Amino acid sequence: MSGAETRSIEFEQAAVESVLGGYETLPGVRDEMMDADGLPRAHWVPFLSELAQLGPEELRRRFSSADRYLRESGVFYRVYDDVGGGERPWSLSHVPLLLEKSDFAELAAGLVERAELLEALLADLYGPGTLVTNGALPAAAVAGSPEFLRPLVGVTPRGGRFLRFYAADVGRGPDGRWWVLADRTQAPSGVGYALENRLAVTRALPDVSQTLRMERLASFFQTFRASLLKLDSTGEGRVGLLTPGSLNETYFEHALLARYLGFLLVEGEDLTVRGDAVHVRTVAGLKRLDVLLRRLDADFGDPLELNAHSRLGVPGLVEAVRQGSVALANALGAGLVESPALMAFLPRLAESLLGHPLALPHVGTWWCGQEAERADVLAHLDDLVLTSAFGTLIPGLPRRFSAVGADLSPAQRKRVMALIARRGEDLVAQDIACVSTMPVWNGDRLVPRPFTLRVFLAATEDGWEVMPGGFCRISESLDARAFSMQRGDRSADVWVLSDGAVSSATLMPSPESVRIRRSSGTLPSRAADNLFWLGRYLERSEATLRVVRALVGRLSEVEPSSSAPLVARVLGMLSTWGAIPRDLARANPTRYAIAALTRMDLPGALPQLVRSARASASVIRDRFSPDGWRALLDLEGCLTAPVPNAASEADVYERADAALRIIAAFSGLASENMNRLAGWRFLEIGRRIERSIAILRFARAFAEPDAPRGALNVLLQLTDSQITYRTRYMIMEARGPVLDLVLLDPDNPRSLMFQVQRIVDHLRVLPGRDPDAPPSLAERLVARIQSDLIARTAETFELVHFDVLEADLLKLSDEIGQHYFIQGPEENVSWPAAT
Amino acid sequence: MLYDIRQTTSYTYAAPVRANRQVLRLSPVDRKGHQHVIAHMLDISPRPSEIERGRDFFGNGVAWMVIDAAHDRLEISTRSRVEVIVGPLPEPMLTPTIAEVRAVALASTELGPASPVHGMFASRSVPLDLAVTEWAEASCAEDRPILAAALEVMHRIHDEFTYKPGATTVTTLPAEAFAARSGVCQDFAHVMIAGLRGVGVPVRYVSGYLRTVPPEGTPRLEGADATHAWVEVWCGDSAGWIGLDPTNAIPAGEDHVILAIGRDYADVSPVDGVVVSSGTQILAVGVDVIPVERSQAEAPAS
Repeated sequence: MSGAETRSIEFEQAAVESVLGGYETLPGVRDEMMDADGLPRAHWVPFLSELAQLGPEELRRRFSSADRYLRESGVFYRVYDDVGGGERPWSLSHVPLLLEKSDFAELAAGLVERAELLEALLADLYGPGTLVTNGALPAAAVAGSPEFLRPLVGVTPRGGRFLRFYAADVGRGPDGRWWVLADRTQAPSGVGYALENRLAVTRALPDVSQTLRMERLASFFQTFRASLLKLDSTGEGRVGLLTPGSLNETYFEHALLARYLGFLLVEGEDLTVRGDAVHVRTVAGLKRLDVLLRRLDADFGDPLELNAHSRLGVPGLVEAVRQGSVALANALGAGLVESPALMAFLPRLAESLLGHPLALPHVGTWWCGQEAERADVLAHLDDLVLTSAFGTLIPGLPRRFSAVGADLSPAQRKRVMALIARRGEDLVAQDIACVSTMPVWNGDRLVPRPFTLRVFLAATEDGWEVMPGGFCRISESLDARAFSMQRGDRSADVWVLSDGAVSSATLMPSPESVRIRRSSGTLPSRAADNLFWLGRYLERSEATLRVVRALVGRLSEVEPSSSAPLVARVLGMLSTWGAIPRDLARANPTRYAIAALTRMDLPGALPQLVRSARASASVIRDRFSPDGWRALLDLEGCLTAPVPNAASEADVYERADAALRIIAAFSGLASENMNRLAGWRFLEIGRRIERSIAILRFARAFAEPDAPRGALNVLLQLTDSQITYRTRYMIMEARGPVLDLVLLDPDNPRSLMFQVQRIVDHLRVLPGRDPDAPPSLAERLVARIQSDLIARTAETFELVHFDVLEADLLKLSDEIGQHYFIQGPEENVSWPAAT
Repeated sequence: MLYDIRQTTSYTYAAPVRANRQVLRLSPVDRKGHQHVIAHMLDISPRPSEIERGRDFFGNGVAWMVIDAAHDRLEISTRSRVEVIVGPLPEPMLTPTIAEVRAVALASTELGPASPVHGMFASRSVPLDLAVTEWAEASCAEDRPILAAALEVMHRIHDEFTYKPGATTVTTLPAEAFAARSGVCQDFAHVMIAGLRGVGVPVRYVSGYLRTVPPEGTPRLEGADATHAWVEVWCGDSAGWIGLDPTNAIPAGEDHVILAIGRDYADVSPVDGVVVSSGTQILAVGVDVIPVERSQAEAPAS
């Protein structure tokens, strides 16, 4: 190092003192930022000096903007442990882990080698099994894993690979070497969160990330996507991402990846096996699906041949795999090589499968199914971590048991000793691995916290590609022993610092590979169904809000004697809709309005309506922009917040108004930002049908020939047509002109005719419609409604017509459901006990 | 002993079924040293649009079938002629000790279907359970000959448990049947498996048929027989898997016809299926096990 460089580093070090003040590394633990002499490592200095320049105040502002970004984009992690299965916002530690390129390259090379070993191991265990017959691996160390899927033995996966996406959890030991702590081969999670973390941190620190030049992530995803697309033989570039559904803890990530990679997010019930090939049920019928990125645990994949209790899988999937008609990433059964028992044999297996030892060490592991190992473990019990050999629950020990021998309670010790004596095969013992710490911003300064790093690898035709980054899980506790920090409290981005030019790849495919296409892609029936109902619930919310607003707004301004009959009509309507209780005897309109706005227990009141809307949207997260999703969350937040006891009319009006504004914002986003594809059309059809029904009900209640005075005015208000009426007629409301405007005027966007025409337009262009076939029943139904409206005049409208039209609209809704959404529920067959 | 076996399984659906996909494990196969299948027929009505027959991992006869036309009834019938061969039971006291059997099984270099390793671990329908393990331990000292220990566990189930049809279902866990000390053949087999595996002994599940003999003077009723379940305990390399029937406290013998073998019931479930239908279904099963030459042996109850 030259003198000038030394001086410049010393200068920078002086500048970073402010951020480093009081940073004390843990005794005996390596720190990623500080060296043993308490000086920042060279590759951290530029970053620290950038932070120093920003100053603590600015840092706080920047970091809270990153938090806001994550919150607003709806990044969440579902927590099973919470009562009611809550969603926990993603917790980001803002300081990234900085790794030198050469350091990461060495780690990456070691992991590539390991991925190759695991692939070879899977190929042997599901294939010829020579590693077992020649004694390199005891049969019991394989058979004990619940992920040794016997129906898949002898099956070569389509494309010849078991692993296509592999992740390893690694930690850095006190000696500075990386150690593998665990392998993830079933359906590794975290890569989507890593992507979100990168976006959040680079948004918070745009200047810093520009200056530092870290390796970009996009080309990794691009390569991975391309390698999966190569397996698709349909030529339509269709890849499914198979998710267990919105209750899964990492569902957000599934939706995010599907959107980012352009894959179709599908659940088991979206898929069906016909003629030994997997198909997705879409609004245009069944479409073949050749490639599935699997985020569903293999055991749940097929109720026929795997777990019969699974409701998440696809009956016949195993047979489709056997026939080679579908490629799964990863293959069913790939989870086998995650088991700690197998890790004990990897060093020996590397010699026979790769011909040389593994360059990257893993945590020392001994399987207690072997006599000599058992004796060794007993002799050193206090200094070893004991854990389940196959990740399964061991009776008498807690779930996910992992403890150092010395720390065992007397009861646990007794149990462990009994196991080692009678069922040692269920246990492994591992060395206590101590990991390193990295800096975490605790609000006003940096503090060291232990972490593990997950690194992601994707298989390509030219071998394994490593994502230049990763996903750090940081523990809040100061215990740096790896086994004690399985969950991780916070996550952090990982920057691999580049020493050369950084590729600026994005997920845009290279120009020559792009085929121009405007078609609608593929819309699974389930997604269409949920979009349709989202539209209906939103519109129903809007109609109810308008009624509530009328109740406390316009109506309350009129003198009670003349408003009473109108109020009674409004209340009657709300009561029929289930939006208010029937037993609020003689309460004033405001109490009723509050009930409709806040009662959680009424099916037609707003909390339940917006929850239903949100529930429909939550299972199709991949189809929304973050803004659209945020609008829905805002709406729910607005309508489920507690109302003060002494809420006034103004408070109620205010809330109803705010909610209507959010719905308008969502509609605006949908109409401006959603492509005019099938999905948008189903959302639209749902809204138009619901709005038509509301218009009919409003008109029926307030345009009766003997309706009380002022009723027509209420009708105009509820249908948002007052201004149009005033500008057109300049007279008091008269029944004929009002009905014409509300029901028949094709140019009034709030009229019934307008809604019906939109439905006609949408149905005509939905996918799967055969232009040579006669119109569908749904099309014929809506055509009948339309011609009925054309043929009628305002004067000839009678009560009975309202009922007929409403019945027709409900029939239309059912018919759309039958035609596009329902392809039959599948039921498992039960079998009686043998006797 | 030679048998003609008929089994008829029918599903009657309340609403027409549009698609029906089933995996059937209803075909007995040759078991070296135990049974020889002379003839077997599988009839399915309505006729499947796709059917494929083969073997599963454990060598059981499996048929994968799909019916894609609407139907409101599915009938699966099998007819088999099977010869049951019964070898002599090894002298229990001369079988290897539990410790010896365990050591051999843990070091096994065989991952194929006959390997003891598949019988060693907790499985889907048989999680290990401390109470059942402790109960079995009383008979299973490590230095005890394995068959002697296993026979004792079998007798204890027969003596301590009540045979009680209807009290349990296909999904009853062995710990539940154990706590109630009652159940049917499937429960008894699962309890025996949970207990022996708990102490480290390889043991597996057998589904099959048991010949029943009507009381003296009454005619044999059509379809009165039933499917049955028992276990096989691995008694070391030379003795191999030995069948024991805890429901009747006897070793599997001339009256036991093997249909399928697995780690537990979930591996051998006779019909696993998924139908596309909106209604309910009624299942009926009839079994006849008819000896072709009359046996002298007194047959036990199922």
